[in-house]
Amino acid sequence: MFAYAVRRLLTAIPTLLFITFVVFIAASQVTDPRDRLRGNANIDQSAYDRITELYDLDRAPVERYALWVADVAQGDLGVALSHGEVPVSEVFWDRLGNTMLLTGPAFILLTIIGAVAGVYSALRQYSFGDYFTTTIAYFGLAMPTFFFGLLLQVVFAIWLPNLTGFKPFWSSGMHLDSFGQYLSSVTLPVATLILILLAADSRFIRASVLDLKSADYVRTARAKGLSERNVVRRHIFRNALIPAVTIWSINAGLLFGGALITETVFSWPGLGRLIIDAMFAADLDVVMAVTVSIAVIVVLMNLLADLLYGLLDPRVRYD
Amino acid sequence: MTTKRKLRALLAMLFAFALIAAACGGSDDEDADAEESTDTTVEAEETTTTAPPAPEEDGSTGGTLIWAHEQEPPDMHLDDPNNNLSITSWIRRALLEGLYGVSAATEYYPELLAQEGEVVDNGDGSFTINFVLRDGLQWSNGDALTASDVEYTWNIFSEGCELEDDGTIGDGTGCVYLAGDRTGLDLISDFTVVSDTEFSVTMVQFFAGWKALFDEIYHPSFGADATEINENLREWSNADGIFVSSAPMIFDSWERGVSFNMVRNDSYHGSASPDARNDGVAFVDGVTISWVADTDAQINALKAGEAHIIMTQPQLAFGERLATDENFTVASAAGPVFEHWGLNLLNVHLAKPEVREAVAYGIDKSEVMAGLYTPLFGESLPAEGLGNTFWMSNQGPYENHQSKYDGNNVDEAAAALESAGYALNDDGVYEHPTDGVLSLRVGTTGGNRLRELQQELIQAQLANAGIDIVIDNVDGAAYFGERPFSEEALAASSSGGAEGDPTIWDITQFAWVGGPWPGGQAASYLGGNGNNPYGFANDAFDARSPECDSTIDDAERAACYNELDTYVTTLDNGDDGLFMIPLTQKPSFYGYLSSVLSGAGVAPDANDAGPLTNVVDFQFAG
Repeated sequence: MFAYAVRRLLTAIPTLLFITFVVFIAASQVTDPRDRLRGNANIDQSAYDRITELYDLDRAPVERYALWVADVAQGDLGVALSHGEVPVSEVFWDRLGNTMLLTGPAFILLTIIGAVAGVYSALRQYSFGDYFTTTIAYFGLAMPTFFFGLLLQVVFAIWLPNLTGFKPFWSSGMHLDSFGQYLSSVTLPVATLILILLAADSRFIRASVLDLKSADYVRTARAKGLSERNVVRRHIFRNALIPAVTIWSINAGLLFGGALITETVFSWPGLGRLIIDAMFAADLDVVMAVTVSIAVIVVLMNLLADLLYGLLDPRVRYD
Repeated sequence: MTTKRKLRALLAMLFAFALIAAACGGSDDEDADAEESTDTTVEAEETTTTAPPAPEEDGSTGGTLIWAHEQEPPDMHLDDPNNNLSITSWIRRALLEGLYGVSAATEYYPELLAQEGEVVDNGDGSFTINFVLRDGLQWSNGDALTASDVEYTWNIFSEGCELEDDGTIGDGTGCVYLAGDRTGLDLISDFTVVSDTEFSVTMVQFFAGWKALFDEIYHPSFGADATEINENLREWSNADGIFVSSAPMIFDSWERGVSFNMVRNDSYHGSASPDARNDGVAFVDGVTISWVADTDAQINALKAGEAHIIMTQPQLAFGERLATDENFTVASAAGPVFEHWGLNLLNVHLAKPEVREAVAYGIDKSEVMAGLYTPLFGESLPAEGLGNTFWMSNQGPYENHQSKYDGNNVDEAAAALESAGYALNDDGVYEHPTDGVLSLRVGTTGGNRLRELQQELIQAQLANAGIDIVIDNVDGAAYFGERPFSEEALAASSSGGAEGDPTIWDITQFAWVGGPWPGGQAASYLGGNGNNPYGFANDAFDARSPECDSTIDDAERAACYNELDTYVTTLDNGDDGLFMIPLTQKPSFYGYLSSVLSGAGVAPDANDAGPLTNVVDFQFAG
């Protein structure tokens, strides 16, 4: 398994290079940190020259990309123009931690709720509960993240306190003074993140369980006299987890991607807001750092999923 | 216990946990506020040299004002050309004062000075300005603020610069201190301290914007040299801790992405602003700027009681959601930022003065104002729109130079076009026998709904006049680099079309910033200037511009700038004029909790000072 993991990691390098190349070239075509200097009639030429030199803007994008790769290989992620020209790594790790505070609970809750809702819907197919969870799932699928986030703010941070005098949640911002404050500020953005992805999660697991319910080995298990509880737990649920691992690994990447909008709506100072601010500031080094991090997370989660297949399904071998 | 029972028990536990957690969150919120307030009071007691001011009849002292704002500065080094964001200057207004301040009427007033500076003509082309500081000025650490501090500031600005023969810093070569703009500073040839309160500055020629120089004075502890101060300014602190202040607030902490916190400067010497009603230390204990990235989320934060004041881009949702609610006050005012349509004189159609005049006739600014601005901003903006690019409507010397184009003038537009050989085609659009259909692209930074509505309204107006307008926006700041300020477009502009590409844009819509000294505005119109995108090159204008800047008398100089404006907004001085169509001033737009800020006097000015311009007056309800 170790050799397989190493092999997979090595094969991920060209993928990462391709992703970063495309993003770098595209971003460098549409962003120029000197843009903000334009429109100021009195700006000194020396200001242009300084930025040109700092970011090698006098070189071709491909050449700049090569320089960037060389720097990253040595652990230098560049200079964060949008943060007072401090090293990108200083900003990045701080923001990554904040994003984990948001996406971590979201991932765990999404996984649990998605699995419970999916299994319940499948086992109680066409029941009221099935229709209810299906409705909630499709509601989340249809609801734009941006709108749903603002809706939660209005309902739980404005209307509810106005009606009851009880204000359980912050409408925006990250508050870490205490665990209670953290829960107060993280609940609404986590709910937003979860609802958007819940549909795919629960529907995927529901379909998987429905398939397994009529599988030959499940019928055999029932024929052997196993209780329904044991049939579900040992023969259906565990096997339903195998394809679910795939969607969970995808969710990890989607949560980071979805955090872009959620963090903006809820003013959560994570990677999502960082990259959006960086794009507005034409801060290419920060944009690249965040892009690479998301790509790496997706690659690692896919690798983790592949390794988990082996644990969940003995038929899988890493040859 | 059955599975169903277990599930119910689990759900009940989860529900109970959620309620407990939520309750913890709520009570912690209140506790945190109380702690913050208490902590601030303790700190204030430890450093207090002056007692807090007596409360107004309808207000009280204390409390932390929370301002939710969208744009966080990259750092606090305002002179770094990468960081010329308004928010940085707005914050620094609450931390540092300068020789002159800018009032709500967009006029200079002596801030640290005891009186107006005395301008002396030395007779050899140079001028000396004698300054006298107010008595009793002091920094937040108790140090006296003296002329030596001003000299220190100048020494930082000029450190390392390769001096010209006349002693000036020239084009800034070698200067260590980061500055995107050294206009005016590059004319200083001598700085002499006479006493603790008196000093003089000699300039090799008169500079009309001299009051804008030294708009912030640094304390020597900010850094031993320019290199150090460049670093220290970014985080507003030195090796010993945070910077001292000369304004109502002191920097306290900055949690990136979350908030920027200031506390009251209890050693503040008092405001000299004509707009301030409080001449002592600030009423509030402090100000927290909470970074809320989205405008709708800002409004929600205000309505949720998590912020006391917000200031956003003027937009429809703001008025709709707050203006109708008696719990909130919405205020706006005209300021120096103005929207305009700039015409590319190198465009085959717009090169003809008749076409530009037809565009001016075709635009009905009054309808734009009535339809878009007046409902939001009331009477704070002139109903006929703006007619000057140097002086704004709220400034004394303002003259409307485009009044002849006011209203709906389709007939005049048609006459102008027909006199240039255009005729209406079957589509109802004017067409020139050699230059083709009169179709022009207008572009701006996409995503601003108010601007887009304005474009659509003018598009419809000009369609009535037989001029086809195609909206061609580019999202965000990329617009400038791709269109009017692209290298190809600027090269075309500065070479009169001989180089570059003059077809990149036809009409641009964006905001320029004026101010109490509008002379800097002329740089955008000087022939060959690297930042003049319009293709305007007029020798008479280029000669008159420095003459205006060298006019010492304020009234004469103001009139001179009005004269300069006629070159760009009318055809009075030649056929190359009328390439600027100012539309309206862009108002500052505030919303605040009316029940919390009782008579706080949130200054609805837009003089680039931001809402903290009168932070000394902020006060909570009693």
